Amino acid sequence: MAGLMSRHALPARHDPRSYDPEATVTLYLRHNGYQPPQRQGPQWTGTRLSTQVAVLAGRSLRAAFSDYRLVFFGLLQPIVLLLLFSQVFSALGTLPGVAEYQSYLNFLMPATMVNIALATAMSSGVGLLAEVYTGFVGRLRAMPVNLLAVLMARTVSDAVRLAVQLAVAVLAAVYLLDFQPPNAMGTIAAMLLCVVFGWGLSWIFVALATWQHKPEIMHAASFVVMFPLMFSSSAYMPVNSMPGWLQAVSKANPVTYAIDATRALALGKPVGSALAMAVLLIAGAALLGGAISARNFRRTR
Amino acid sequence: MHQPGRDVRIDVRSLGKSYGSVEALIDVTLNAKAGSVLAVLGHNGAGKSTLVDILATRSAPTSGEATVCGWDVTRFGRHIRRHIGMAGQFVGLDDSLSGRGNLILLARLLGASRKQAKERADELIALFDLTDAATRKVATYSGGMRRRLDLAASVLGRPDVLFLDEPSTGLDPMSRAALWWFIERLAADGTTVLLTTQYLEEADHLASDVVVLGAGRVVARGTPTQLKSSFGSRTATVTFADDTSMRRAIAVLGLAANPTADEARRTVTVPVTGAAGVTTLVRMLDAAGVFATDLTTAEPTLNDVYMTLHEHGWPAS
Ligand SMILES: Nc1ncnc2c1ncn2[C@@H]1O[C@H](COP(=O)(O)OP(=O)(O)OP(=O)(O)O)[C@@H](O)[C@H]1O
Ligand SMILES: [Mg+2]
Repeated sequence: MAGLMSRHALPARHDPRSYDPEATVTLYLRHNGYQPPQRQGPQWTGTRLSTQVAVLAGRSLRAAFSDYRLVFFGLLQPIVLLLLFSQVFSALGTLPGVAEYQSYLNFLMPATMVNIALATAMSSGVGLLAEVYTGFVGRLRAMPVNLLAVLMARTVSDAVRLAVQLAVAVLAAVYLLDFQPPNAMGTIAAMLLCVVFGWGLSWIFVALATWQHKPEIMHAASFVVMFPLMFSSSAYMPVNSMPGWLQAVSKANPVTYAIDATRALALGKPVGSALAMAVLLIAGAALLGGAISARNFRRTR
Repeated sequence: MHQPGRDVRIDVRSLGKSYGSVEALIDVTLNAKAGSVLAVLGHNGAGKSTLVDILATRSAPTSGEATVCGWDVTRFGRHIRRHIGMAGQFVGLDDSLSGRGNLILLARLLGASRKQAKERADELIALFDLTDAATRKVATYSGGMRRRLDLAASVLGRPDVLFLDEPSTGLDPMSRAALWWFIERLAADGTTVLLTTQYLEEADHLASDVVVLGAGRVVARGTPTQLKSSFGSRTATVTFADDTSMRRAIAVLGLAANPTADEARRTVTVPVTGAAGVTTLVRMLDAAGVFATDLTTAEPTLNDVYMTLHEHGWPAS
């Protein structure tokens, strides 16, 4: 009898069918052809911020490029925009301030690049919100993961996505629409500037996302920010041709500097102070957005 | 200054948490040692998840103190997070990745190399019986499969303290058995496990200590055995051949105890206390000339404890 006095053999529960866990589980594992793992192993207690950003950015990128429909429409979007604007406004090609660029398309293309950067930056915020809602970030909150890594990974992976979009848009413009940049180096420099611009700006939208948790509000707010920024800049019309008050707005609009710098780089014109201004604004946006996001995101309720 | 013993892994003193006017936790004190399993029971809204979230540093307390692995939860969260694992009441997984992909990603974030992460993921996938679904996107998983993957994720880093908020909700009996077996083994290896549950037999089976929360307060605590002896009692169920015998038995036993009858089965159940309880019962029936066809006894369960606490209102509130 003594041999039966183990804990599991005692008739402690009412249910006569109550099972012996050890036996049940062993049976079930053997059924799966499974050998119990070693009990001991290394305890993992966290990684550096850079590793966290790399791992999380890799995850976002895989997600972004894993669905071919998403990739297809993402890449098509700027091309459609470009096609529409260049046809609708083609008569503007002779306007003073545009004529020097040979065609309206040449004038428009750099602005479209900035536009793509803006749209991608906007999607960073919306994407982050979608992520926060899944509960996955909830798990990270109880892990040795710096939550800033989640935000950085988002902006970094979106910057990579942006680079791909820009490259495709430029190639399409050159081969399908007769965009004529004078030299490749300038165009590449312009693309780089746009990537950095998009990255810096994405911090503003990320900050917005950490402050305002509703995706609908995010969408509406982004829309309200984006359209005036684009249309009150030098994107579609030379600033000189605008009404006086709009000229003042345009000169205060950071997007104007980004577009002027991009346009000058892409079309081989003198860059002047626009590049320095653009870089300064990007750094400012990234710092401000980063600081606000960092403060809002870790705060536990 | 309160100095917890070296092996106290979770130490909670007068913890309070309010959400505006809602007091989710009031003056909660408890602790758990290395290698122990602490079960937190309580009705919906009792504060179980709130407690777990505070200890796992996902939420901040509004009063009192708590330490996990000796670190204060409000000031040293970053140290605590290195040594804990957590599976919340709502699973935290990336739907766009496969089950295996989730585990690899989380292991990499914890500091495993690519190779280690893959090995560990495969090990846990086999253990939680997800082999067939390992490469499928989590978005296509059933509820129980998600739960199992979430549990696997919580132990990836081999934590010292493991928080499981209703871990067996939605699991089939086989998976629950596997989970219990796994938790027992973790505890035997020195892991401290704090789990919340609505399954009292789960607490009974696994827990070295039980804390019952009622409306944010601790209303009972002790080992399962202690709780059962203070809030429950053994019962004896006697079966009779006919209704007349049953009626007479009810009348006779009603003088001494509080019998409950099941007319359809012709059984009468009474609490029996002390070593002589059953003998007394049989003597009473014999003296009244009532014949019984069967007699069984049953140990109190945590279910009985829970019901008693509920019927009598929460003692401390
Ligand atoms: N974010 C919140 N804001 C306001 N009140 C909250 C919040 N989270 C929880 N509460 C309240 O705190 C109390 C305790 O909630 P908690 O989730 O801890 O209960 P629980 O014991 O886990 O319940 P269940 O068994 O249903 O999971 C409830 O009254 C709940 O409404
Ligand atoms: Mg809960």
